Amino acid sequence: MSLAPKPNTALLIVGHGSTENPDSSTPYFEHADEIRSRGLFAEVHCCFWKEEPSMREAAYMIDAEEVYVVPDFISEGYFTQEVIPREFELSGPTTQLRGKTFHYCLPVGVHSSMTGLILRRAKEIAPDIDPALTTLIITGHGTGLNQNSTKAIRDQVEHIIASGAGYAAVIDAYMEEQPFIADWDKLSQTPNVVIVPFFISDGLHSYQDIPVLIGIENEVGAAASQRGVFRHNPHHVRGKTLYYSSAIGTERLLADVILDQVYDFDHVHKKL
Amino acid sequence: MSLAKKLRKLLESGVHRIGELEIQTDASNNHFVLSHHLDTSRAAQPTFGGLVHHAGPTDAREISTYAEDGSYRFTKGQVNLKRGWVMTLENEEALRRALDQFYPACVGLFIAWQNGDLEIENLRDKLARQTGMYRFARTISDAGAQKLVQAVCGPAHQCAKKILWQLNPVTPLDDSEASRFNGIPGMVPESEAIPLLCREACNHFVAECRKAAKAEFEATAKSP
Repeated sequence: MSLAPKPNTALLIVGHGSTENPDSSTPYFEHADEIRSRGLFAEVHCCFWKEEPSMREAAYMIDAEEVYVVPDFISEGYFTQEVIPREFELSGPTTQLRGKTFHYCLPVGVHSSMTGLILRRAKEIAPDIDPALTTLIITGHGTGLNQNSTKAIRDQVEHIIASGAGYAAVIDAYMEEQPFIADWDKLSQTPNVVIVPFFISDGLHSYQDIPVLIGIENEVGAAASQRGVFRHNPHHVRGKTLYYSSAIGTERLLADVILDQVYDFDHVHKKL
Repeated sequence: MSLAKKLRKLLESGVHRIGELEIQTDASNNHFVLSHHLDTSRAAQPTFGGLVHHAGPTDAREISTYAEDGSYRFTKGQVNLKRGWVMTLENEEALRRALDQFYPACVGLFIAWQNGDLEIENLRDKLARQTGMYRFARTISDAGAQKLVQAVCGPAHQCAKKILWQLNPVTPLDDSEASRFNGIPGMVPESEAIPLLCREACNHFVAECRKAAKAEFEATAKSP
């Protein structure tokens, strides 16, 4: 499936952003650049929760009267179900507001096409290992406050198992709820382990916190863009061979998933 | 008329400054030349006076992310934009894209403000809609919020935006350098600049409100 051009429409990518880590918003701009280069929309913009422009400022920089709002978020939860609708004053899938029509799409992380991206990323970082001797761990933040925050990851685990990718095991693990990513070696029975962080950016969590939890760094280091030396796989820790990838959202092809969500919106809500 | 065309009209009317940026129009090819305003004379030279040249708006994010000292410019109203570069833009749409990166949405906000279409949100409305960990911010006292504006906002605290909001519909901000600032850093007449506008308190300010509200609560709890 491919999205037909929408020459009178704007795409607005919504990200979290950070007041502390400049790498946090990099993927959103890269996804916007990628989509802009394809010429599918009249305009492509980004807006953020923690950076500028804010969601309430964003409409002021859009000419188009029809706007697709796509949360470049990894799961459905507090941000996509509460914060973003509140900030945009959305009342449903489509909202008319101040002379514009806003279509609110699902977040990228819940789209089924994420499965292909995870498998591609896992293969890229560990191209020569035998999947039959490898555990693939998809890791996220996790929080006891919202069950939905881990659902997207649990769904991906099921999709990958069903895909027949051949991994000895595919499991989910989290920073702040069980099963804990810090226990990755105990959670896996194989000599090889591939960990793919299910985050949009290589920000604080995936680049700085998790490497300490899994034992490839001794302390929380500098932000990715501030490091002179990049990490190299594999890491030989805790008696296993560990491959740790960058956040799944840093994959430029995530732009395709944003477009997939627009496509799906049209088919579900506009019956195109 | 598109925002880009409206921007061109503004430039034709004599506007040449937004934030710390100087916008020069190259009369020979109708292109635009963008630089730090302190590099204006070098940017006007034939080879840009040795400034690092960026063609097109793509590098605007990279240039505007870090200050000269390497600190992260997490709000773009900060008056510490790097110098030493020049950007050429082939039309008003490319210029608008660059400006939306240096000063997100500020062109659109100004045009809406000029037209009377800008919705301004007072601090109490902004705080009242906070949820999650920021819910507590709404308990800040009026006096605490007034004090915070003077401690966080304004060019003395690295934000050059013109504050349009009040505490609530009947309570303006106390007079101070921060509340008085016109959104135009540098010595430029108001008719020649697009001011940076703050239509509602930013999330940095909300986070500071939360901290101050907590401090107020703790101080009250400790008092006999």
